[in-house]
Amino acid sequence: MANRKKEQGGMSRLFALASGHKGLLTASGILAALAAAASFVPYLAVYWIIRDVIAVYPDFSALQVETVAGYGWIAIAGIAADALCFLASSICAHIAAFGTQYELKTAFTRHLAKVPLGFHLTLGSGRLRKVIDEDIDKIEKFLAHSYPDMVASFTAPAVLLVLLFVFDWRFGLAALAAVILAFAIQMMTIGKAGPEVMQEIQKSSADMTEASVEYIRGMPVLKAFGQTARSFRQLKDSIAAYTKIMLSYTLKWENYMAAFTAIINNIYLFLLPVGILIGQGTEDYASFLLSFLFYLLFTPAVASVLNKFMYVSSSSMRIAGGVANFDAMMALPELPEVENSSVPQKTDVVFQNVSFSYDGSEHKALDGVSFTAPEGQITAVVGPSGGGKSTIAHLIPRFWDVQSGSISIGNTDIRNLSEETLMGQVSFVFQDVYLFGQSILESIRMGRPDATEDEVIRAAKAAMCHEFIARLPKGYDTVFGEEGVHLSGGEAQRISIARAILQDAPILVLDEATAFADPENEQQIQAALKELMKGKTVLMIAHRLGTVRTADQILVMENGRLAEYGAHQTLLERNGTYTRMWERYTQSLTWGIGRKEETHA
Amino acid sequence: MLKKLLLLETQGQKSLRSAVTACVLTGLSLMIPFAITVQVFLELLKPLTGEPVSWNRMWLLFGIGLAAFVVIFFLSRHDYKKTYVASYGQSESTRLRVAEQMRKLPMSFFNSRNLTELSSNIMTDCTNIETSMSNIVPQLIANVITSTLVCAMLAVFDWRMALSMFIMLPVSALVLLLSRRLQSRMFSRHVEARLDAEKQTQEYLDGIKVIRACGLGGERFQALNHAFLELKRAAVQVELASGSLMALSTIFLRSGIGIVAFVGVNLIASGQIDFLVLLMFLLIASRIYGPILTVLTMLPDLLYLKVSTARLRTLMESRPMAGRNDVALTDTGLCFDRVSFSYQKDTVLKDVSFTAKQGEVTALVGPSGSGKSTISRLAARFWDADSGTVRLGGIDVKDIEPETLMRNFSFVFQDVTLFNDTIEENIRFGRPDASEEEIRAAARAACCDEFIERMPEGYKTMLGENGATLSGGERQRISIARALLKDAPVIILDEATASLDPENEVFVQQAINRLVEGKTVLVIAHRLRTIAGADHIVVLEKGRVTEQGTHEELMSRHGLYEHLYSIQRKNAAWELA
Repeated sequence: MANRKKEQGGMSRLFALASGHKGLLTASGILAALAAAASFVPYLAVYWIIRDVIAVYPDFSALQVETVAGYGWIAIAGIAADALCFLASSICAHIAAFGTQYELKTAFTRHLAKVPLGFHLTLGSGRLRKVIDEDIDKIEKFLAHSYPDMVASFTAPAVLLVLLFVFDWRFGLAALAAVILAFAIQMMTIGKAGPEVMQEIQKSSADMTEASVEYIRGMPVLKAFGQTARSFRQLKDSIAAYTKIMLSYTLKWENYMAAFTAIINNIYLFLLPVGILIGQGTEDYASFLLSFLFYLLFTPAVASVLNKFMYVSSSSMRIAGGVANFDAMMALPELPEVENSSVPQKTDVVFQNVSFSYDGSEHKALDGVSFTAPEGQITAVVGPSGGGKSTIAHLIPRFWDVQSGSISIGNTDIRNLSEETLMGQVSFVFQDVYLFGQSILESIRMGRPDATEDEVIRAAKAAMCHEFIARLPKGYDTVFGEEGVHLSGGEAQRISIARAILQDAPILVLDEATAFADPENEQQIQAALKELMKGKTVLMIAHRLGTVRTADQILVMENGRLAEYGAHQTLLERNGTYTRMWERYTQSLTWGIGRKEETHA
Repeated sequence: MLKKLLLLETQGQKSLRSAVTACVLTGLSLMIPFAITVQVFLELLKPLTGEPVSWNRMWLLFGIGLAAFVVIFFLSRHDYKKTYVASYGQSESTRLRVAEQMRKLPMSFFNSRNLTELSSNIMTDCTNIETSMSNIVPQLIANVITSTLVCAMLAVFDWRMALSMFIMLPVSALVLLLSRRLQSRMFSRHVEARLDAEKQTQEYLDGIKVIRACGLGGERFQALNHAFLELKRAAVQVELASGSLMALSTIFLRSGIGIVAFVGVNLIASGQIDFLVLLMFLLIASRIYGPILTVLTMLPDLLYLKVSTARLRTLMESRPMAGRNDVALTDTGLCFDRVSFSYQKDTVLKDVSFTAKQGEVTALVGPSGSGKSTISRLAARFWDADSGTVRLGGIDVKDIEPETLMRNFSFVFQDVTLFNDTIEENIRFGRPDASEEEIRAAARAACCDEFIERMPEGYKTMLGENGATLSGGERQRISIARALLKDAPVIILDEATASLDPENEVFVQQAINRLVEGKTVLVIAHRLRTIAGADHIVVLEKGRVTEQGTHEELMSRHGLYEHLYSIQRKNAAWELA
């Protein structure tokens, strides 16, 4: 499937992406062609006027004023038809384009929620956002603007072909030759930009975006270390590189563009020698004169239609890069998912010989790990950083899939659970709480989108959030980040606990959930957690050993392996890694900053 | 006005001027084919008055036409080149100036929430300027100039015909002008919708873990879906409105060709003008409206530009903080003297006074939101105090240029920013001229050595966007290594050990002990036990200093400090049910 997508060229792939709007696009194309055809009408009217005047020459008083005025009306009708058809075509195209844009953006974000989380880490948000903000927008712009223009410009040669038969074919042929030449020149420009060049441009533009994101994001640090100049240099280089490549790319077309402009404004030069040759030998000067005049009058009409074609070719080249980039991202394999699955009866979490390493790393983050987190009990996971604790927490929601072994909930492999079922079974509280720029109410409601306001408030109360939320300027409707509302780490943590309470899944995964708490918060988080953990199967990743001492079971992870496990006392008696960690922990409790060495703990 | 709109500077103005000149030249050269066509017409019509056609003259005209063709080719190549060189050059310089400006803005400008918005908009704004410079402005000016020239010439020929040709122009322009307010409002809404969609996208990407854990991927994440839908709606509306108005004014303007026909026929029938004049006007009427319409079409684009670059202009007009850069400090003690500060409308600090002596550890404690972090940021001029003074070594920090001032500070924050570079370069941030040996020494002192050596390429390992691959404790230690390398006399530790696992914590604690030796240290910590040994403890509540002194003094006062301290002791004993 992915391969077939790649084989399609930019343009046809583009229309495949917009296939949901075939009707609108077809309508837009037809209307654009009609508009282009109507744009010839005023020229025809002018021709008729001149023809009538010549017919009475030099006795102008014999002129049929009404008839000639009628031509004037025809011209105006043509103009109106042109403008209205163009408008209608443009509206159809825009609706199709914005619809496509919306669908692609949604499809892309949906896709992003299903690829392994590692892609987010390795690609970085800058590159992913570029697809949404730029590549997809390019597709939209092409459909909305370039596509109708393209159809319109193809109408010109068609109209000329018709006129071939109506008037003198020799002039028709000469004019057609000019049009074909102009087209050929545009086509040559398309062939000239290879995919490598486009890729280079894409890359340098992405580089520039990334450099600027990093520059701005890092500004506090850059300033703190007086390093703005250095990072500025990096940004400067990327900007210069972008400018250079864009300029050299654009200037490649200077001859083609100039030739195109010169030709479409000089179509009469193609007609002139033909006219002279025919005129010199003609018997019937009057009819020769009329058809020659007709073509001379007509050329500017052709020029104005062709003018639209000018930017079509370059934008169609640019679109190819955008489409390719979009497709490449969409081709990243999603984690396989089953559609429907029954809810497991039991809620114990079993790791069976699980091995896993992060992308491209030879180091095994987990190496043959087996354990059971029994239903309704608390299982704590401890160990030095890099030991694999967080990996365990990340594999359960399927941020990644295991490479060997299996993880199951109540005897069902989690890969055989639909996303919905899995998320219904497990709720998570992570160390790094991310709050979206939405109201507190919505933020908590993420745990269960159909929860009523009352339920949200009840969850907030249970998570000890209600009090501080009530103090906010607009209570539950306060939007995070607006009006200078920022929550402390501990408060944010409690919001995420409220979310989990609302979700009320039988299994709970806590990833270092008390990390950012300040003293008063910590007490409340602890109370909130107690509420949350009631009767659940809990898997708790922790670094403060004090908090896990009474867990039913403690797993000690070291270098990706399960080094030892058991209850606190059992582990202490074994005198292994856990004992060492416990000693360190008690030692860290007595540390204090400052010159006095006495302890106060 | 254009200069302001496009943020032009001298060089940019110059190159824009030459681009416009080039476009005008091309525009004028495009009149040659028209002039020749008229000549051909006149020659062809000769038999009507009984004269024979001079075919030699026709060949001559053809020859002149060919020459003109070559001229047009070169002029339009020239104008293409000039325009693009001008526009890319200009957008390069705008981007650089914006980046340069950002270096000088106060830290407060870089409120973390705005960052994505900032970065994306600046680049898009620059791109918008780029396209308008290449595709809009020069053509627009050139078209205005050439159209005006043609108008003037025609008026000389016959004012009645000229009048009928342009009589609809004011009507057409009026339609656009009247709709300007409406359009401007729609453009703002569209820009807003676009920005919102971009912001939501960034949030979606940043919060992807939560999104997935809540099973809210794709359109199931309401905020994003709404933003996308709203963008779609706003975009269709803009197109509908501006498209309809454009169509209307096009019809008005172009109907001039009909009017020319009506008037012309009457005038010629009554013998007031001759055939040549009618012919000329008809020919021109079929060509002149195109360029004028281009001008009218481009106007909304310029309007849009005005809206979309508003932020960029605000940024460029913000004033950087001033100060001297030749300040010699003999002492590096910090002194807050009746300092008050509000952020937006909220009062954050009120009448705060305390002294942090050189060589001592001063701790700031208090509930969250009491203003601890603000104090450390005022010291380094992230913001300036509203009233009162902050002194470093006796000198008001407002008199010291921010970058100079910053040389005296080392920060270790809770959240550490890393760059997409090697570990070595990330540490080198502390001091750019540090040797490899010095970097390793700092890394060793900060207890980074052990985990760095484990990485695939050691110190040369690339970190990825914001060092995504490192744990919190590892990032923290890198930031301490940076600070060690910088060796500034004032150290600010802002909840530096908050998120560490026990093993890391011991390492970080060791590292901090090495860092703070003999320095002026300002430390903010949740865990009171870690600062109980400080020389001086300042307790804050709701932006005011409620008590200060040593641990013992404060404990004996039985105030807020003692209360917080005892809660924490209880927490430390907390265990799972």
